[in-house]
Amino acid sequence: MSALLEVKDLSVSFETRGGVVRAVDGLSFSLGAGESLGIVGESGSGKTVSSLSILRLFGLFDDVSVSGKILFEGRDLLRVSEAELSRIRGGKIGMVFQDPLTSLNPVMPVGEQVAESIRFHTGASRPQAHRRAVEMLDRVGIPDANKRCEELPHSFSGGMRQRVMVAIALACEPKLLIADEPTTALDVTVQAQVLLLLDELRREMGIALIMITHDFGVVAATADRVLVMYAAQPMEHCSIHHLFQRANHPYTEGLLRLVPRFEHQVHGRLHPIEGQPPALTEEIVGCPFAPRCSFTLDRCKQERPPLFRIGPDHESACWLAAERAERETLPDKPWKAV
Amino acid sequence: MSSTDNKESVLPARRRARAGEGIGVLLLRRLRDGIITLLLVVAVIFVLAHVVGDPALVFSPVDASDEEVERIARAFGLDRPFWERFGSYFADIFTGDFGESWWQNRPALAAVAEALPNTIYLTLAGIAGAALTGIVGGVFAGSRPGSLFDRGSNFFSISALSVPNFWLGLLFIVIFSVQLGWFPTSGMFGVSSIVLPALTIAVVHGGRVFQLVRSATVEEMSKPYVRVARSKGFPHRMVLWRHVLRNTGLTTATIAGWEYVRLWGGAVFAIEWVFAWPGIGTLTINAAERQDFFVLQAAVIIAGVFVIVSNLVVDLLYRVIDNRIKSS
Ligand SMILES: Nc1ncnc2c1ncn2[C@@H]1O[C@H](COP(=O)(O)OP(=O)(O)O)[C@@H](O)[C@H]1O
Ligand SMILES: [Mg+2]
Repeated sequence: MSALLEVKDLSVSFETRGGVVRAVDGLSFSLGAGESLGIVGESGSGKTVSSLSILRLFGLFDDVSVSGKILFEGRDLLRVSEAELSRIRGGKIGMVFQDPLTSLNPVMPVGEQVAESIRFHTGASRPQAHRRAVEMLDRVGIPDANKRCEELPHSFSGGMRQRVMVAIALACEPKLLIADEPTTALDVTVQAQVLLLLDELRREMGIALIMITHDFGVVAATADRVLVMYAAQPMEHCSIHHLFQRANHPYTEGLLRLVPRFEHQVHGRLHPIEGQPPALTEEIVGCPFAPRCSFTLDRCKQERPPLFRIGPDHESACWLAAERAERETLPDKPWKAV
Repeated sequence: MSSTDNKESVLPARRRARAGEGIGVLLLRRLRDGIITLLLVVAVIFVLAHVVGDPALVFSPVDASDEEVERIARAFGLDRPFWERFGSYFADIFTGDFGESWWQNRPALAAVAEALPNTIYLTLAGIAGAALTGIVGGVFAGSRPGSLFDRGSNFFSISALSVPNFWLGLLFIVIFSVQLGWFPTSGMFGVSSIVLPALTIAVVHGGRVFQLVRSATVEEMSKPYVRVARSKGFPHRMVLWRHVLRNTGLTTATIAGWEYVRLWGGAVFAIEWVFAWPGIGTLTINAAERQDFFVLQAAVIIAGVFVIVSNLVVDLLYRVIDNRIKSS
């Protein structure tokens, strides 16, 4: 199966007054059609910037430079024309953002905010688009969608607005949905509802998902595979099963240890490990986690560990893992999608 | 669906109370504020003339002898007690009796009434130019911050608004009237005379409108919903028209409205003087030179009324349109 999305050695840096910020540094992963990948990491580890890179949705003031490749259906999104990108954004790739309270246009009825995207991408007439928008709103669980679609966002709660966002993102039946902490800003009870909805709809529609979160509970509920990020770099990449059974990277282990009895606690948040992540404005020599790691080797401080394949469906950026892997000499099977 | 999902209220309590308040109540409240302001203006003029200065001297011609001054004081009832004078002053003003102009030999109010339409004409022409250039330029510049157009127009507008308006007026006269002979140097003769004074207003105040509209646009463009609109695949132009302008349109119109009020707050009078435009500004300065106290007083009060009224209109229009948008 050729991958739907293939990110190859993506690096993103911002020129700021305080210096150059390396927000993403050498990220690679791939995603098959209908598959779901969770990206986990502490705040500031580069998750949002990674997801914005896919659709080139940087801010107007950002002085940004991007390198690497983002192949979507074989085309490099970092190099396609504006017109091509315009068809992909909202058409083939939908996106749900973190803050539902500010993500909707405050002076446009919610139905129109769904319908305009349908009209733009499918060329449907106004009434057609409107009808489909109402269907979509109904499908994401807006009660009385037929009437409420005429209302402005401020008469909806946070959870309802996030449902509207989901409707917008899925309106044109995309191949890929990117959700950047879609439930972080919501009440706990509402979080679970929105997650369930997202998961259900994307399975029904056969949409691939990138779920960005700092919450292992969210990953467990929605992802087949997980990519752990730290200080702009990928640390570990494995199936969700491996993550909880035998996480390899000391950083991942540390994170998991700090989530008490996580199997029972769906909303366990990441607790900080002792020490601070490195500043992204300075050049990081060696492993970024080395200063906080309890297994640090000399090599860790000098050389950056690449992602080593340490088993089927399992990669880890750790020199310890590399040594173990060398001893065991794994057969070189290609990566198998779960 | 659990009911918790719907419980959050979105508007802060105060905004909700305000939004629910009828336009009628609002109108009454603003009218009350306006009347209080006007009373204060009138009272301050009285205090300045009667307490700080000596009204008898002010009312007398410059070369009057002491006896004449005293006769004038009696004729105007200035020997009466303070409160009595204050009372009759107020009664006169609010019955429309602003006294006689001894320079023009007619009621002071008549002189002001003749000048007022000319000032309105000039300010409207000027603000139309300012709003057009300021709003169009500000939206384009603010929607692409840092672009060549943004940097160029930003520089130009800052220069425009830092130049004193009378100086710019004089510059225009030298270039367009004296050198090129395209427009009359001064006065009000036909349509061509309004071009230069209106242009002066358009440039200086357009610069301010540009700055305010630009920053409102920049601020709006960095809101999260704009990123969402971009994530739908819309090109820049569509994001701007369908989303950003829907939100900033009203603010933008209000910026032009406030600028109009500001113009009445003084800027137009200097421009009138430079171009000898027969409006309230020129009248005021002439009256001051001729010690024509009653014309001076009438001009200041009528201009004050105009500022208060235009303030009120801008504010009310803003609320009415805002409510219409919010409840549509
Ligand atoms: N527009 C920007 N300009 C400069 N630095 C940025 C910008 N956006 C993000 N960053 C920096 O990049 C790093 C990663 O940010 P982000 O991707 O938002 O983290 P996460 O989503 O994992 O919390 C942070 O250090 C952040 O300060
Ligand atoms: Mg983030």
